[in-house]
Amino acid sequence: MDMFLYIDKETPVHRLDPRTKLLLMFLSFVLALSFRSFVILSSVLVAVLLYGAAGSALSNLRRIRVVLMMIASFSVVIWSVATPSDSRFLLFSLEGLLYGVMVAIKTDLMIISGMIFLSTTKIEEIAGGLVKLKLPYRGAFAFSTAIRLVPMIVATSYTIIQAQKSRGLDLDSGSMLQRIRKYVPLVIPTLVSVIRGTNVFSMALESKGFGYSDVRTTLLELRMKRTDWLTLGVALLVVAAAFFFNMDSVAYGACLFSVRSGS
Amino acid sequence: MSEKGADSLRFSRNEAAPSGIIRGDAFASPVMNTRAMRAFQQRYPPKGAGTNVMNDEKAIVVRGLTFSYRGDEDVRAVKSLDFEVDRGEFVVVMGPSGAGKSTLANSLNGLIPRFIRGKYEGSVLVNGLEAAKHSVSRMAEEIGLVFQDFEAQLFSTNVKLEVAFGPENFAVPREEIAERIGKVLKTVNLEGVEGRSPATLSGGQKQRLAIGSVLAMHPDIVCMDEPTTDLDPLGKMGVFTIAKELHEQGALTLLIIEHETEEALHADRLVVMKDGEIAAQGKPGDILRDVPFTDGAGIMPLQIPKYFFELKLCEREELPLLPKEGAEFFRRKGLVLEQSRYKWLLEGDRARERHYGKMIVKAEGVSHVYPDGNRAVDDVGLEIREREFVAILGHNGSGKTTLVKHFNGLLQPTSGKVTVCGKSTAEHSIYEIGKEIGYVFQNPDHQIFAETVFDEVAFSPKIRGCPEEELAVRVREALEAVDLAGYEKKDPFSLSKGERQRVAVASVLSARPGIIILDEPTTGLDYAEQRKMMELVRKLNESGQTVIMITHTMWVVAEYAHRVVVVKDGRVLLDGATRDVFAREPELEASHLRPPHIVSMSNLLGHTLLSVEEMKYCTGGVS
Repeated sequence: MDMFLYIDKETPVHRLDPRTKLLLMFLSFVLALSFRSFVILSSVLVAVLLYGAAGSALSNLRRIRVVLMMIASFSVVIWSVATPSDSRFLLFSLEGLLYGVMVAIKTDLMIISGMIFLSTTKIEEIAGGLVKLKLPYRGAFAFSTAIRLVPMIVATSYTIIQAQKSRGLDLDSGSMLQRIRKYVPLVIPTLVSVIRGTNVFSMALESKGFGYSDVRTTLLELRMKRTDWLTLGVALLVVAAAFFFNMDSVAYGACLFSVRSGS
Repeated sequence: MSEKGADSLRFSRNEAAPSGIIRGDAFASPVMNTRAMRAFQQRYPPKGAGTNVMNDEKAIVVRGLTFSYRGDEDVRAVKSLDFEVDRGEFVVVMGPSGAGKSTLANSLNGLIPRFIRGKYEGSVLVNGLEAAKHSVSRMAEEIGLVFQDFEAQLFSTNVKLEVAFGPENFAVPREEIAERIGKVLKTVNLEGVEGRSPATLSGGQKQRLAIGSVLAMHPDIVCMDEPTTDLDPLGKMGVFTIAKELHEQGALTLLIIEHETEEALHADRLVVMKDGEIAAQGKPGDILRDVPFTDGAGIMPLQIPKYFFELKLCEREELPLLPKEGAEFFRRKGLVLEQSRYKWLLEGDRARERHYGKMIVKAEGVSHVYPDGNRAVDDVGLEIREREFVAILGHNGSGKTTLVKHFNGLLQPTSGKVTVCGKSTAEHSIYEIGKEIGYVFQNPDHQIFAETVFDEVAFSPKIRGCPEEELAVRVREALEAVDLAGYEKKDPFSLSKGERQRVAVASVLSARPGIIILDEPTTGLDYAEQRKMMELVRKLNESGQTVIMITHTMWVVAEYAHRVVVVKDGRVLLDGATRDVFAREPELEASHLRPPHIVSMSNLLGHTLLSVEEMKYCTGGVS
């Protein structure tokens, strides 16, 4: 079973420099965290999805659709119950519902954006891009390795679940506490296997000259091309525009605040 | 960098590209300057050149090496070991588990004592460089190390980048890395998969890639620590073919740690280790002809010399080694296979078949298609009866594990039907099917979790509601069956691999299933442990268990299985009594399986005999 996120394809998004993609992801985070407007958030979501489609990365979103939906529904339910409000229908309030939907969009937007980044950027490119952004190579490598380890751990735990199920472990029954205790036979072998695996991994790394010197060459050539600058320019413009057009509401909020505190 | 500066004669690896000239064209580089060239020749003289003291430098010199692992100080893994390897030599190191082979390998590039800590005495010189005094990455320039676990040593997005990683660390210019990738992939026979993700390669391809990624750094010594343990016969052959070619190409010094005796014959020298010391070394043929020694040293004896040795027909020097030589020798000595005795063996096979019970596992038209569209199992029909001992063979990725996972309901067929003891796996949960059929996974570490062996073995019956009083009885029984009685209070994680494997078997037996599936039960075990494991399985089978075993180890199949099912590309290629299947050598070879030597020899003589004992039993004409 393929557990790796990277989708090996030749698309305009794949051809972008990893720094560009990293920055685009960062900008989408900024937008998601800065605004509360439905219009802006949903247009950003659409833009990100279009970008993902251009990178043929949407198949990976299908893989995490359950997670995305769970987060969304959790957010909607919890906020609509927890938001203070005067008018309630049963437990739920309209303001809470709207707020919950907004938080759901924000969160899913960031996850989707991150997923698209990982689906279209090789691990080596991520490390290379971070180095170009002046991060030390060891740090960049550690970061990219952490990403790489996730699918390895998932694959191992998958085997372990099968092994313990064959011995009669039944995860679907019992009380909450009993169920938690049932995870012990899964967690311990997973930890042991991962630790053993990473031990060999680090020995193999050193045996291939990792850390030999601070000077290092790379096979992949990272260069900001015209399309990169163009993409970044457009993205920055969009962000600026979003802040500009949202100015009214910010000004309105600030005004409201000053009036209240003034009176 | 200071370590490098201290050694002015050396030059960094990217300048050292001219090493290609004595390594044959696979490593030749067009770039070369005269100064580097001169320095290079001083360091690596062509074979047979002069007797300059400097030129006499050995590739590896180990003097008085003693090491004990931290936390285990009382046990010396190697004991004042003296060991030398000449430049260009091909050495195979064998020995039982715990002989100190891996300790030796890991000390060559300084992983011991720099990465793996412990008490270290003596010295290890590699190309004249003291391993313990330099960083592992510095030593990587001199000696490349390939590990057994190919999954954990590959980490790049695609094959090309994997090969590039080593040279990148040594700051080799981009153009030259690209060039090296092409050459290395040609050497390890992986052309055409440059862009593939390592995870999608077969086991054999992965291990060849691991070798390639080390070769790309242009070390002039390569050490491989049990590179073929997890591979199918085809994968093993691939690795040894590469080793042989590299060796023939020139000055590459090659050190391979191996369990398979049959492959060791190609080496210049065979070193047998035992209890941290070198028990014997010499020409592989000489050592392997010494049957009493190999028996005592705990390595697998070569079957042909063992057979002729036990007939006591000739001097040791005359013993043939390979099936063809053996068959000729057999005829020359006027030996014959006794028809009556052979018939008696066949009669024994038939009697065993008559003794089988009712049908217990049945697969009808089973196909399995993975979500990615890969058709791993394709229309398989199989019937297994009570008390059978079935071996399922096939190359890595042939679909044999996928097929077997249908038998206990871990996987559901995309089409077709599986019934176990009359229960359809589609209608019953794994929990229920698991009462009838136990599954021992390949790696015991994927299931061991408890603090004591008792708890580990008691886990399965406990979860199935076995009462407390009976639990103790079940655990005792299971541990006795795997010969681990008295281990109840031990920590399973502190046991050896062979013992952990047996704990895993016991923890499945304690649930008292009528059928037991074993996935590669002998992988990673040494010869004595493999024997012990298989004798245990044989005993279980004789006491009424039905056994289904997946394996790559052909002698195990020949000596223990009653029936062989060969799976190829998701389909059943051959299915029959072991003797009948092993008689069809050409078809086996088509799916990259090779019967053990003794079987091949008997086939050449017109009958199929499965072990040295059977061969001896049927031999007539001994004067």
